[in-house]
Amino acid sequence: MATNQIGIDQFFVSLAGFDWGADASFLAAIDALVVAAAGDPDRSRDLERRFNAVLAADTSRAAKEYACRRLCLIGTTASVPGLAALLGEPEHSHMARFALERIDAAEAAEALREAVGHLSGKLRIGMISSLAARRDAAAVPVLAPLVRAGEPELASAATFALGRIGTTEAAAALAAADDHTSPIADVVFDARISCAEQMLADGDRPAAQAVYRSLVAAGEVGPDSRRERAARFAARSGLIDALDDT
Amino acid sequence: MRMLPLVAALFPAVVVVLTLATATRAEEPAASASAREAAAAVLDMLGGDDADLRALALDRVRHGLRGTWFTRELAALLPRQTPAEQPSLLRALADRGDAAAAAAARPLAKAGDAAVRVAAISLLGRLGDAADVPVLVSGMADGGQIQAAARRGLLEIHGPEAEKALRAAAAAANRAHQAALIDILTERRDRASLPLFVAAVDGDPAVRPAAMRALARFGGAAEIDAMARSYLQASGDERRAAEQAIVTVCTSGAQAPAAATALVKGFAASDQAAQDSLLPVLARVGGPEVMAIVDGMLANPTARQRGLAALVRWPDAAVKERLLALHAETADPAEKQIVLNALIRIAPLPDNKLDDSQRLSLLQQTLNLCERDADRARVIERANAIRTFEAFQFVVAALDDPALSEAACRSVVELAHHRKLRDAHKAEFVAALDKVLAATKTEELLERAARYKGGKTWDRTQKN
Repeated sequence: MATNQIGIDQFFVSLAGFDWGADASFLAAIDALVVAAAGDPDRSRDLERRFNAVLAADTSRAAKEYACRRLCLIGTTASVPGLAALLGEPEHSHMARFALERIDAAEAAEALREAVGHLSGKLRIGMISSLAARRDAAAVPVLAPLVRAGEPELASAATFALGRIGTTEAAAALAAADDHTSPIADVVFDARISCAEQMLADGDRPAAQAVYRSLVAAGEVGPDSRRERAARFAARSGLIDALDDT
Repeated sequence: MRMLPLVAALFPAVVVVLTLATATRAEEPAASASAREAAAAVLDMLGGDDADLRALALDRVRHGLRGTWFTRELAALLPRQTPAEQPSLLRALADRGDAAAAAAARPLAKAGDAAVRVAAISLLGRLGDAADVPVLVSGMADGGQIQAAARRGLLEIHGPEAEKALRAAAAAANRAHQAALIDILTERRDRASLPLFVAAVDGDPAVRPAAMRALARFGGAAEIDAMARSYLQASGDERRAAEQAIVTVCTSGAQAPAAATALVKGFAASDQAAQDSLLPVLARVGGPEVMAIVDGMLANPTARQRGLAALVRWPDAAVKERLLALHAETADPAEKQIVLNALIRIAPLPDNKLDDSQRLSLLQQTLNLCERDADRARVIERANAIRTFEAFQFVVAALDDPALSEAACRSVVELAHHRKLRDAHKAEFVAALDKVLAATKTEELLERAARYKGGKTWDRTQKN
């Protein structure tokens, strides 16, 4: 046991000093430890603690990235602070999100929501994208105001995320933002369709029907452009699927 | 029925249809209001002039809104559609697979627009039953796509009663239809039609070939007499096809030995004229029982020529010792030639009786019996059916003989066609192909030899 412990310590010492281009053979041994820890909370927590130490220390991007990838698999609430601390760092933000998207803990989503509030530019859009990937219903109040943001890229990301989240609240936020004159009108339409599809997939047939009905009704009075015809097609197709309970 | 306000607003034309046409059978679970609204939307799009939405609706006809209730609504729509609209809905209904659509397709299959009839007939083929067989049979009388659809439909229509109806239709059909219906029953592998096939071989000459095709597939010992009768009545191409059918039954499958025995028995019971006609068929079937008949003929001076003719047609090399002995014992040049011809033919036959070296050995023996260059040349050409290096060496040896050179060139080129053999002995083949290029004047051989020498292939279909 003591020998094993020394071996594990040595692997993580190697990881702390690891960078791209160096000997990476010890990573396979750590991978094996991660696999072996499945179903063993004590070993899993020990490894998580070690990966978090790598994140907190002055280690290379390569080492942090590897740690993030493994925290996707074994990370818990305990990893959230360390990962959240990296969200604002352009070099590490992406991999920290990668882990937070996948850690099954409310704190992970909370960290992403908070980051939306204080980050800007592409990093902020990244947080929104991760909230969409988590389908975080609690993010709707955070995202809804952004749909009307002046920045089209930010507004589009928030709109897409609401569609992906696919809750009644998300649908309401999107309906409120549906405006033919908006520069992101197409994105809003696609998000509403996506939202309804998500509701249907989740088994909420009445909610999906409501979204599709609204889209069909809007399509009846819209212009007859190719885009509008495609939109009508998608809306009617979705409505029939949502109504068809046979 | 509670009509949802949005449906009423969006699809007003459908409200009436829905109200009238959603009556469902008592045993069916009632469709939900939601499903009825979806149905209304589909029906509305089917009746609209937007091609994209019609396509969407047809997709849902095919794959959505399960239940006979909706099939009936769609069927009720059919009579109100124009002939331009009906085929696409009929095709979608056929794909939907609900037999409840068949009733609406029946009148459309009988008369009217050709495209509609094709679609309706196709639907009946897939979803119809025995009662639809007569409609499909009558469609066979039309040409073109209707006939093709009817034929396909008769192949597809299912259920034991359908096959029974098809057999009845075939039995009662006129000569124009009967042959086609027999072919359909054959394609359906309907063994229960055997009595019909047997009856047909004694019937109209226009129907006989189809019946023989069927018996070739399903016939056995019990059908051999009928097949022989048909063969005797036939001539020309029909007789050749009939011969092939009998040979197939007597040489392939588990029933073949019993069928061959039945053929021999039938032959023995026939009169002389029938025996003369049947002998070539017997000879192609071969086997010990037929050999006993041939032996009897060879021993009888008046029948000897017929016996020799039978040996020439023998299907395998089992007869080789008999032929070699006959060649040795006869002094008659004409007989010698007949026997030699038979040996040249059977020696390389891929009949599993001899292995490659035995086949080549028999050809070498046969070559030694030849007294004319023309016969030797035929032996050299037959050698190319044995795809071995030894056969190649056998034909290469003839390249330098001016009388055999052209035949040897043909065989070298034919053996070189087989890349595996050619590549395994590349140097020898290149040398032989060089000789071919120098010796032959035949354009095709020159082209092929040059291609094979260069490691290329040659497309046999170019030949024609």
